[in-house]
Amino acid sequence: MKNEVIIEIKNLTKYFPLTSGLIRQKKVAELRAVDGVSFAIHRGETLGLVGESGCGKTTLGKCLLQLYRATSGQVLFDGKDLCQLSNKELRPLRRNLQLIFQDPYDSLDPRFTASDIIGEPMRIHNMHRTPAYQKRIDELINIVGLSPYMADRYPHEFSGGQRQRLGIARALALQPGFIVCDEPISALDVSIQAQIINLLDDLREKFGIAYLFISHDLAVVRHISDRVAVMYLGKLMEVADRDSLYESPLHPYTQALLSAVPIPDPTVEKKRNIIILKGEVPSPINPPAGCVFHPRCFKVYEPCPTTVPQLADIGGGHQVACLHYPNSWPKSE
Amino acid sequence: MITDTVRPHRSLWGDAFIRLRRNRLAVTGGVIILLIALTTIIYPFFSRYDFASQDLNAILQSPSMKHFLGTDELGRDVFTRLIYGARTSLSVGIFTQLIVLGIGLPLGAISGAAGGRADNLIMRFVDVIYAFPDLLLIILLRAILGGSIYMIFLAIGLVSWVNVARLVRGQTLALKQRDFVTAARVFGGFGSYITTRHLLPNSLGPVIVAVTFNIPRAIFAEAALAYIGIGVKPPTPSWGAMIRDGNNVIFAAPHLVLFPAIAIGILMLSFTFLGDGLRDALDPRLRR
Amino acid sequence: MSDKPLLEVRNLSTYFYTQDGIVKAVDGVSYAVDRGETIALVGESGCGKTVSALSILRLIPEPPGKIASGEILFDGIDILTLPKDRMLDIRGDRIAMIFQEPLTALNPVLTIGLQITEALERHRNMHGAVALEEAIRLLKIVGIPQPDQRVKDYPHQFSGGMRQRAMIALAISCEPELIIADEPTTVVDVTIQAQLLELIRGITEKLNTALILITHNLGIVARYAHRVYVMYAGHIIEHGSSQDIYHHPCHPYTRGLLASVPRLDEPRKTRLQPIEGQPPDLIQLPPGCAFGPRCPHVIDACRQAVPPMTEVSPGHYAACRLAVPDRKQS
Repeated sequence: MKNEVIIEIKNLTKYFPLTSGLIRQKKVAELRAVDGVSFAIHRGETLGLVGESGCGKTTLGKCLLQLYRATSGQVLFDGKDLCQLSNKELRPLRRNLQLIFQDPYDSLDPRFTASDIIGEPMRIHNMHRTPAYQKRIDELINIVGLSPYMADRYPHEFSGGQRQRLGIARALALQPGFIVCDEPISALDVSIQAQIINLLDDLREKFGIAYLFISHDLAVVRHISDRVAVMYLGKLMEVADRDSLYESPLHPYTQALLSAVPIPDPTVEKKRNIIILKGEVPSPINPPAGCVFHPRCFKVYEPCPTTVPQLADIGGGHQVACLHYPNSWPKSE
Repeated sequence: MITDTVRPHRSLWGDAFIRLRRNRLAVTGGVIILLIALTTIIYPFFSRYDFASQDLNAILQSPSMKHFLGTDELGRDVFTRLIYGARTSLSVGIFTQLIVLGIGLPLGAISGAAGGRADNLIMRFVDVIYAFPDLLLIILLRAILGGSIYMIFLAIGLVSWVNVARLVRGQTLALKQRDFVTAARVFGGFGSYITTRHLLPNSLGPVIVAVTFNIPRAIFAEAALAYIGIGVKPPTPSWGAMIRDGNNVIFAAPHLVLFPAIAIGILMLSFTFLGDGLRDALDPRLRR
Repeated sequence: MSDKPLLEVRNLSTYFYTQDGIVKAVDGVSYAVDRGETIALVGESGCGKTVSALSILRLIPEPPGKIASGEILFDGIDILTLPKDRMLDIRGDRIAMIFQEPLTALNPVLTIGLQITEALERHRNMHGAVALEEAIRLLKIVGIPQPDQRVKDYPHQFSGGMRQRAMIALAISCEPELIIADEPTTVVDVTIQAQLLELIRGITEKLNTALILITHNLGIVARYAHRVYVMYAGHIIEHGSSQDIYHHPCHPYTRGLLASVPRLDEPRKTRLQPIEGQPPDLIQLPPGCAFGPRCPHVIDACRQAVPPMTEVSPGHYAACRLAVPDRKQS
C-alpha cells in the first residue's frame, strides 16, 4: 500500500505572461514560476518541498490543486490528468485534495463560527443534511485537540495555533488522501509550532494521508518529511530521501541552504563553516541562462552558464541537477 | 486539552455594537434619530392640528403656548408641519437607500466576483450613469411621473447607487484574494456560492457605513429639490418647501425658515455621527 | 570593555491603555549592553521585546502607550528624562535602529540617497556633495552593487534583501554606539539572512558597536549573541551568557523552547516536545508567574507571586522557584 503512487506531476510548467500596452495588451515578458517539475508522491508519504521566496513552491502547490491552471504538463491523480478536467469534472475529485494555509488569520472567514468553518467542505458537497454532519464536526474538533464548547466561537476568539487547528480540521473533513501544506507553521509562535507539527504527524499516522509539505524551514522539513525536494527559480535542484539529503547534500544550493540555517547551540555554531552565497535571488522573470543557480554558485565552472543540467538519478533515488555529476548532462540526441 | 481564552464570548456584530455604544456622539445621533422617528409615528395620534389645517386668523404667529413653534403664512401649525416634514425626510432617506442597495449591491457584487468582461461592461455602464447630470434626470422623472413621494424615492435612488456599486466591487475584488475564499475554491465551491456566502457578508461593513452617510445626503437632496420647486408636491409637507415658503416673509417671521433649517441640520448631523461611529466600530481591527 | 555598561535598562515598565484593559507589554524589565557587545532579546510574539526597544528610543505612541516607570541609562544619562530635542540628537546618531519591515520603515517617496544624506546633515553636519559621497560609500560597505546609481533609487526599486541593506546603511551612517536590530531578517530568505547577519557582525566588530538583537529565532541568537535575555509576557525570565542559556537552561520556558525546536545537527526525534497551552493574554495575566499555566513543574508557590530573579551561577539568572543555584541541566 505504501508504494502506491497517489499523485504524480510530470513536467509541470506555469508561466505568467506579463503584458503591457494601453489598448491591446502585448506580452512583453514571462514569469516562469514553475519550469518543468516532475515528482511522484506515494500514499502516506510526506514530500517536503523547500526553497526560498520566488522559487515557485507555492505556485506549484496551487497548480497541483488546479487553483492555477498549469501552462503545460500533467497532474496525475487517481488515474486522471487533472489539468485536462473542467471545473465541473474536478469537483468530485476535490474531496480528496486539500490545502492547509500559511496564514491562520486569513484562511478562515471571520463571519463563520468554528462549526461552520469545519463543516464547509461537507456543505459544499451537499452532505450536511444528515445527522452524521454534526457528529463529524464534533469528531474533527476532538481530533485536532480543541474543546467542544469552542464550536460556536468565531475565529477572532481563537489564538493563532488554534486557528491553524481549525484549518486542519477543515482540511480533514472529507477524509482526503492528499493534503498540500503551504507553510503551515511559519506564521505561528515557536512554542506552538511544535504542537502543530506533532498534530500533523499524528494525523498522518492515523489516517495515512500523504502530504506535500511546503516550507522554507529546513529543520522542520527534516523532522516531518520522508523525502525532500529542493527548488530554485522554478526548477528542482535536488530530490532525495530525507536522510540522504541532510547528511550528504550534493547540490551546491542545498549545501548553502543547510549551512545558512543557524543551529541553536553556540558551541556548535562557532565550529561551523558557513557558506555565504553572493548576490540576491534573481527574479523569475529573467532567469539566468544555463544552470539557473550559476551566478551565485560557489562551485561554478565553465559549462554552467550555457548548459542546463537535468534532474537525474545518481543512485538510490537521490536525484540532482548539477553539471558536476555526469548524469545531469543533457543527453545528446 | 487546550485551555482557551477567558474573554466573554462575542460575535463580530456584538463586538462592533459594544464599541459603537462607547462612542458618545454616535449614540447621541442614534438616539436623536430614534426619537424623531418615534415622534413622527406617535404624534399624529395626539396632535391638535393637521399639517394642512389652516387658520387664517392666526397667521405668522411667533411661538406660543397654543402653537408650539408658531404658525406660517397660512395659519398652519409649524410644529406639526415640522413633524410631518420629518416623516418625509426620514422616509426619503431610508427608501432611497433601499433602491441604492437593490441596484448597487448586486451590480457591484457581480462585477467584482465575475471579473473579466462582465466587470468591464458593468463598470462602463456605471461610468455612464455617473457622468449623467443628476438634476436633469430628476427633472425628467418629475415631468414624467409627477410629484409623488415615490417619484422622489426613485429619482434620488437612481442617481446615488453608483458609489455603492463601486464600493461593493472594490470590496469583492479585495476579498477574492483572501485565503478563506481560496479555501472554498479548493473544496469545490463555485462562483455563486462563494459570492453569497463569503464575499457579500464580508463586504457589508463598509457598505453599511456608506449607506449611513448617504442618508443625510438624500435628505438634503429632497429638501433642496423641494426648495427649488421640483420636490414633493404640496400639501405633503417638506422641510425644503417650508424654507422656500418662509423665505418670502423671512423678516417678519424668521422662525419659519429657522426651524426647518435647524431640523435639517440636526437630522443630517445625527446620521453623520452615527455613520462615523459605525465606521469606527466596524473597522476590522479585531486582530490582537 | 569598560566597567559601565553602555546602555542600562532598569526596571522598565511600558503599559498600553486600551478599551479592554491595561496591556502590560513590558513589566519591570532590566538588561544591559556593554560597548561592543551583542546581546539578544529572545521571545515569542507579545513577550515585550520590541516594545522595550521602542521604549529605549522613546518611540512609543503616547496614547495609548506610556512608559510607566523605570530608567534607561545611556552612557550614564537617564534618557527617559531628556527633553524631546535632546532625544532627537541621540536617536539616529548615537543609537540607531534597524526595523523588521524595511518597506514600512523607509520613506517610500524619498530616494535612498536623500534619506541617508538627511541623516548625515542632521547628525554629522555633512552637506551637498560631501554627504552624497558618504552615502555612496555607505551603500558600498553594505554590499549594494553600483552604489553611485542606486543611491538615486526609491525603496520600492530595491529587492527585499537590498532594502534591508539600505536600512543598515542608514543605521550606520552616523557611526552609532548602539544599534538595535528588531527582527532584522524575519522577512528575508535564509540565505539572504545569513548574508545580512554576517554583514551586521562585520560592521559591529569593525566599529565596536553594541548590538541589541531582537528575535524569536534561537539559531540566530546562538550564532551571534554574547549574552541572551529570554522574555515571556513582558518579563525577563532568564538571562546569562549564550553558553549558559543554551547548555544549562534553567527556566522551564527556556528549556521548553529549546526542546521544541527541531535541530539540524541532532538525530531526528520521532516527536517534538512542544510547550503545552496557549500564549498568554497580556490583559489578563495570572497572578504569580506568567508561565505558570503552561509549566510542567508548576507548584502552588508559583501561582501566588511572581518569582524573583535568582542567580543560578555567576552571571546566569533565572526567575523561577525551581532554578536553584548550582543546579545544572544539560
